[in-house]
Amino acid sequence: MHRGGHSRQSSSSCWTLVAIGLLTAGCTSDAPPEQNLPGNIAVIDASGRPHVLAAPATRVISLVPSATETLRAMGVDSVLVGRTDFDGQEWLAHLPSVGGGLEPSLEEIVALRPDLVIRFHGEQDSRTPGRLDDLGIAHITVRPDRLQDVYASVLLLGRVTGSDAAADALVLELEAGLADVATRVSALARQRFAYVLGGTPPWVAGPDTYIDEILRLVGGVNVFADLEMLYSAVSLEEFLARDIDVVLVSDASQFDASLTPGARIVEIGSALEIPGPGMVDAAWRAAELLHGTALR
Amino acid sequence: MKFESRDLVVRYPGASQPALNGISMEVAGGCLYAVLGPNGSGKSTLMRSLMGVITPDSGGAYIDDREVHAWDRRELARAVGAVAQSETVSFPLTVREMVAMGRYPHLGPLSGEGDIDREAVATALSECDVTDLASRDVTTLSGGERQRVRIARALAQQPRALVLDEPTISLDVRHEMAILELLRRSADSGLTVIVVTHGLDLAARFCDSMMLLSRGKVAAEGTPAEVMTEETLATVYEWPLEVATDPVSGTPRVTPQRVSPASSRAVR
Amino acid sequence: MNRLTLAGFLIVTLLAAVLAGIRFGSHELTTAEVLAALTRGDVAMHRDIVLGLRVPRTLLGVMVGGGLALAGATFQALLRNPLAEPYILGVSGGASAGAVIVISLGWAGLGSWSLPLAAFAGALLAIVLVFRVATATGRAMDVRVLLLAGVVIAAFFSACIAFILSMSSARTVQNAVMWSMGSLRGASWQSVLLATVYTVPAAAVLIGLARPLNLMAIGEETANYLGADVEGVKRTALVIAALITAAGVAVAGVIGFVGLVVPHGVRLLIGSDHRALLPLSFLGGAAFLTLADLIARLALRPGEIPIGVITAFVGVPIFLVLLRRSMGPSLGGT
Repeated sequence: MHRGGHSRQSSSSCWTLVAIGLLTAGCTSDAPPEQNLPGNIAVIDASGRPHVLAAPATRVISLVPSATETLRAMGVDSVLVGRTDFDGQEWLAHLPSVGGGLEPSLEEIVALRPDLVIRFHGEQDSRTPGRLDDLGIAHITVRPDRLQDVYASVLLLGRVTGSDAAADALVLELEAGLADVATRVSALARQRFAYVLGGTPPWVAGPDTYIDEILRLVGGVNVFADLEMLYSAVSLEEFLARDIDVVLVSDASQFDASLTPGARIVEIGSALEIPGPGMVDAAWRAAELLHGTALR
Repeated sequence: MKFESRDLVVRYPGASQPALNGISMEVAGGCLYAVLGPNGSGKSTLMRSLMGVITPDSGGAYIDDREVHAWDRRELARAVGAVAQSETVSFPLTVREMVAMGRYPHLGPLSGEGDIDREAVATALSECDVTDLASRDVTTLSGGERQRVRIARALAQQPRALVLDEPTISLDVRHEMAILELLRRSADSGLTVIVVTHGLDLAARFCDSMMLLSRGKVAAEGTPAEVMTEETLATVYEWPLEVATDPVSGTPRVTPQRVSPASSRAVR
Repeated sequence: MNRLTLAGFLIVTLLAAVLAGIRFGSHELTTAEVLAALTRGDVAMHRDIVLGLRVPRTLLGVMVGGGLALAGATFQALLRNPLAEPYILGVSGGASAGAVIVISLGWAGLGSWSLPLAAFAGALLAIVLVFRVATATGRAMDVRVLLLAGVVIAAFFSACIAFILSMSSARTVQNAVMWSMGSLRGASWQSVLLATVYTVPAAAVLIGLARPLNLMAIGEETANYLGADVEGVKRTALVIAALITAAGVAVAGVIGFVGLVVPHGVRLLIGSDHRALLPLSFLGGAAFLTLADLIARLALRPGEIPIGVITAFVGVPIFLVLLRRSMGPSLGGT
């Protein structure tokens, strides 16, 4: 049998190609360091990355629906120059679309000459940030996960659009609104709830989710507060074993009511799934559904 | 050319017995040399060892006094045309393309085919009677036709020696005789031709000398008359055989005996 | 079909595809605007779109498409298997695993190169593992063992990916899925440069091995008898083809179909002589992927269709037509 006399030759060609690859990658120029001039706006976005803007952004493309809503709630939605395919509101209809929020059309973004693009934290879209950097378009991320994130996003968006006052006002308004709801339900009995997203076996929201936060705020107790993950499928036995007062589902037809005999099944739609400035309304709606007639 | 093996021992992994157990032989000059033996006697292994495809466990194979692994593969391919027992073609290929591969050892990576090459291919095609099939897809040919194409490819190499493993195995009488005549002519014109074969009678008629292998060892070597004795053949092939002299060619002719199922004695 | 005819056709098609890829995109520009962007470049926005987005993306399609087709043809010759394609040695599994690990650890945002480098490292690991398994006996590399090793290693990486994703947040899963779906949208001048510096010399080496590859396709013993350095050719060609694939996956994700079907299509038209098959497969793959990307960008603009969908939807009918043509009337086609 032949000896592998040429293995050295081919492994050296292998390493040569690797070396070329690494060297070329190393020659990448990252975005130049930003200078800290007076008048600059320095922020840290939801990914923890610092950004410096020379002036408040006046041409904004928001790829994150809740950020879009926040800008409207602050009254600065006039800075928006583009929208995504998923922004169907009629007050956005006059704006051109850049495609999906996760893989938007870079050409359309460039054509709109934005000075700021708002993206999702979490880097679901691994290819867009690099291209925006190469094209010299500033971008920040927002994280629309939890209650705190909503406030943080509001303040961040206020800073980058030069509308800190409106942002602070909105935060106060939201905090007051939520406090209102909490007061209203404080006298009512705690309701043991399960929030079901659908699926077989059903997926439920665990603790540390926005859904859980709001529902606890309005007098609920998450029956699945011991879940280790944010969302998880739960076995049918667990449903039967736990004492549930209310089951909140986005779509009632998806859920088999026989799993929770004795519980009220309430269809809530997707009101609680997207954190944003509409959370006070969502909280009221959740309170009504949770407590039913007791709330009147 | 000179082909030599010295005490060649080859053992396949997991086998209890070596496939070749100390084979020493030498073939030189223009002659037709046959390697015969029952199935599993080591014939193909010997050919592969001589051509350097197999590395022996001990002993060595030498071509023109150079250890076979010391030869540059392309130089060896220009000197020796070897045809393995079988090959599977996975993709469509025309006969001409297949035979033209015999010229590869003569061509550098960037050079195209020249007149010499085209002529060598044409000659090889006609000597093996496959010129009509030149544009056919090799995978559509019969076993015998494919065999002749492979021999044509070896001839296109314009080698000084030919080493063939069962070259006439799927061929009908006309083509078998034609190939053997061709090999005989080649040997007469100075090529060293080594043929691994099953056909005792035809080997006896065409070859100059032969070697009979049995279980990895040389059972007999020499002229057909010397090798093909009843006793030797019956022992090696484990079957009663009658050896007579063919009245036309004067070479030995073997007739296997019928054996009745009840006894293992020969019956007429 | 005549080789030169096909070469001419493919070159013309490739040129047309490249020009179309620069002329058209999801944002409407007139021909005059595109030409101005390429020459005078006084409108920055047009320059950014044409030179910053369209040209690198189109050129990357040429390099990745050509490289994948070339790698596919090489694997088909070496493994003597018409079903072989560039990802057969677990390259896509390793690359995806590398990317998923980086994504789940949250390192994807460290730099625009963190994911491609991780993917490339994963692909390299897969190649090394497969080679190790295939040469474990210390004797000559058996390509059937190589094939099996590739399947097994690919399955191993799939299991790793499934395990990591099962414990990850929905966002990570989404990120991993989106990364692995092939796309040329990440193309930058740097990635084009890298792909070119990589692919062109590798392609030259492989095309230079065309005659030995012709021999390998008949069988290793016969290839040996006809003067090929069988072990050397196997190792060199396999390593280079695997590395071209790894580079392609690193910059563009997993784009299927090109490496399997383009070499077959070319083979159906001009036969298996690799001196023509390899360069024409490169041209065919380059033209095919560039055109597919154009369709992916334009069909539902401003949205994009994943390019693997286009390569399959477009490639299958073309391939079936070619297949029927080669089969002729003997199989009952009217």
